Amino acid sequence: MKHLLIASMTALVLAMPVPAALAATPDDQLVIGLSMSNILTVDPAAIAGREATAVVTNVYDTPVQLDAVERTRVNPGLAESWEISEDGSTVTLNFRQDAKFSSGNPVTVEDALWSWKRILQLELVGSAAWQAYGFTLDNFDEHVRAQGNSIVVTLPEAGDPLLILYLFGKPSAASVVDRAVALEHEVDGDLGAAWLTTNTAGSGPFVLRNWTANDTIILDRNDDYWGGAAPMRRVLIRHMPESQTKRLMLERGDLDVGFALSVPDINALSSNEAVEVQAVASSGFYFLAVNMKDERFANQETRLALRYLIDYQGINSTIMPNYGVLHQRPVSPGVIGSIDDPGYTLDVEKAKQYLVEAGYADGFTVKLLALNEPPFLDIATSIQGTLAQAGIKADIVTGTGNQVYGPMRERTFEMIVGRGGGGQEPHPHSNMQALVINPDNSDDAGLSGLIGWRTSFYDEALNKLALDALLERDPAQQEKLYQDVQYLYEDLVPAVQPISAVVDTVVFGADIEGYQNHYGWTTRFNTVSKSR
Amino acid sequence: MTPLSVRFRSQAVGGAGFIGSIIVTLFGLLVLTFIIGRMMPVDPVLAIVGDEASQATYDRVYAQLGLNRPLYEQFFRFVADILRGDFGVALLTGRPVIEDIARVFPATIELGTISIIIGTGLGVPLGVLAAVRRNKWPDYLVRFFGLIAYSTPTFWIGLMGLLVFYAMLGWTGGSGRVEIFYTGLVSPITGFMLIDSVLVGEWDVFWSALRNIWLPALVLGLNSMAYISRMTRSFMMEQLGQEYVITARVKGLSQNQVVWRHAFRNIRVQLVTIVALAYGGLLEGAVLVETVFSWPGFGGYLTSNLMIGDMNAVMACTLLVGVLFIALNILSDILYRVFDPRTRAA
Repeated sequence: MKHLLIASMTALVLAMPVPAALAATPDDQLVIGLSMSNILTVDPAAIAGREATAVVTNVYDTPVQLDAVERTRVNPGLAESWEISEDGSTVTLNFRQDAKFSSGNPVTVEDALWSWKRILQLELVGSAAWQAYGFTLDNFDEHVRAQGNSIVVTLPEAGDPLLILYLFGKPSAASVVDRAVALEHEVDGDLGAAWLTTNTAGSGPFVLRNWTANDTIILDRNDDYWGGAAPMRRVLIRHMPESQTKRLMLERGDLDVGFALSVPDINALSSNEAVEVQAVASSGFYFLAVNMKDERFANQETRLALRYLIDYQGINSTIMPNYGVLHQRPVSPGVIGSIDDPGYTLDVEKAKQYLVEAGYADGFTVKLLALNEPPFLDIATSIQGTLAQAGIKADIVTGTGNQVYGPMRERTFEMIVGRGGGGQEPHPHSNMQALVINPDNSDDAGLSGLIGWRTSFYDEALNKLALDALLERDPAQQEKLYQDVQYLYEDLVPAVQPISAVVDTVVFGADIEGYQNHYGWTTRFNTVSKSR
Repeated sequence: MTPLSVRFRSQAVGGAGFIGSIIVTLFGLLVLTFIIGRMMPVDPVLAIVGDEASQATYDRVYAQLGLNRPLYEQFFRFVADILRGDFGVALLTGRPVIEDIARVFPATIELGTISIIIGTGLGVPLGVLAAVRRNKWPDYLVRFFGLIAYSTPTFWIGLMGLLVFYAMLGWTGGSGRVEIFYTGLVSPITGFMLIDSVLVGEWDVFWSALRNIWLPALVLGLNSMAYISRMTRSFMMEQLGQEYVITARVKGLSQNQVVWRHAFRNIRVQLVTIVALAYGGLLEGAVLVETVFSWPGFGGYLTSNLMIGDMNAVMACTLLVGVLFIALNILSDILYRVFDPRTRAA
């Protein structure tokens, strides 16, 4: 009996069809490996982080698209054209008539208005972008109106209309949702929010076929896309938290694109002709920040000392390749008003003098927060070493994102190595808003989205100058004003010292064409094809 | 009272006590997990809204998650929901926790079961061999190999395995439960990819699943093998030194009969406990191996939720692990009775 069983099992195994030898990735499918740990929703208005933005960008449409290479260029999206009024107070978006949602419903201006108002009604993550320009739930209908097949937007607060145009290229703020489909799934007046967390109703070049959290995302091509069907029939995204796994799969050709590989793996792949490494200046900065609610750092001399206790050149040449490039100003490189770095270097003697003037000749002990991952921890370790040379003992405390940024948002931290500072829109105001401007420094203001407020850095003259620059309609004068803001910021010795401008590095197969990583994380997969 | 009713009553009391102790254990586990979870400096709200969200958005989500309520209220609401069979929705996936567990747990059972088969299949014979050839080269070899397998980090073995068997030899499909092109071709029936693919006749998917599972299963299996072989060796040595073994040898029984019929039969009970514990450990999920192989299993799910402080999912997972160990304990109790006649009389 026993022998019979073994014999039959052997026969069964031998009878099974033998698999065909596997080739590389299919010609018409794009296979992407990334960590999906931060993809908690596919509701465009509720996304936070680059991976979720990349997915949503390809499933939903926005009125305009910000060019991935030429930062100040704006490309048509759902709006085939737009006008900015002479006085800069109105932006008119003229919607195309041939766009359809994946459900087959036509995309209308009413869908757009409903989608955007919903963000404010539900106070979703995207609401911060609208509120930054003075839009509120109460004034929305007054300032954002349909007019035929156009949407007319009047600025609630004086500002640069270009920024409003850029707002309409931001997926979390301006994605257009299929209202009819969302409302079909409405539960208890949630405007479809629960359903939209795991399902999509967009008009983008791809349609979400399946999302299994921390496993796979499958996007199928939308053949009726107004911009033409994408060359890739399908985009397969797999959760790959481990960098070396991505590297091995890229080398074997089983993966077309790998996001967020570790720098040693990128360096190893750089010499491999079968892959291409694309490093693109992204948004934001790596910085060292202090809390000015702490009396030691409220003292300008202490902050001056810290300015000279960072080994900018050493950090950027040894730690930052493929993470960032040397940058010491609060405005992203390449946007208007961007100026050369002030050229700070590590100067321990100078720093010691400032510490004496500050009354801390013997230094002090400080808690330095840093994310428990490269390059944050490496930067923190370098700074710990240079601070020690001036007698400042930094105890590094590491943790995950919310462990590190939580105390910063609550203004209870002492010192932090962080990343941020705007720049997702190609306008210096994006940096000013995130890093420099602090309209109200009181604890009650709760402006925890602004790094200026978090660090308790407040200067009325600086706020005013940044606002004047925003309102200036003459381009040359505006550029000069933005330069002045940076000089004043430097004189005031800010609580945040940028060290590097963020660089995003993606590795993809050499046969991949048309892949362009976007500084604002809105990388589009419908331009990608394979040359085989 | 008749002797029969006395016996029935004592059995009923014993049963009630047993169930009571299970409930107390599980409740204690929940209390402890909740306290530790809430003491951790993790903010689930930030995980959801991101670092740059406005305070209004933050506050809305904070209230939506019920974090504005007192801790004891949050806890008792959670327990009350569980009693109604509602484990809540996971922040990570936006889906009911119970659905998530139904998806990730079979992936772990599939991997864990094959691993324990490898671990036991190799560990027990090697342990017996080492005991029988004590202080000779097979013993040294087994002990050395076991020590290496047990003390080398599994993620390192996993990465090296991928380097050799995936990148260099191409014998495995790399990461995930199936190669990525086969993703979504088989809808879950049992949740076990090897079974479901056969049930729907997708042989390519079956082979792909087999190609993908053997390496992570071997990595985990080697780890269990090391533990099981060491324990087997030690149990066997104890038995081989007993007088009944000497008697058996004197009676002229062959080496095989002495080892397998006599000595080994007496260590089966202890082995069951060891294997059950090792299996339980595998079913808890092996986070590092799951990470290296992008295996969408229970360990990774639990850890991801722990990292974002999603107590709904963490508590449900903890409860499952608790139930699992209790079930394995009961199972080993039953096997005790099968293997050891003395326990049946009680």
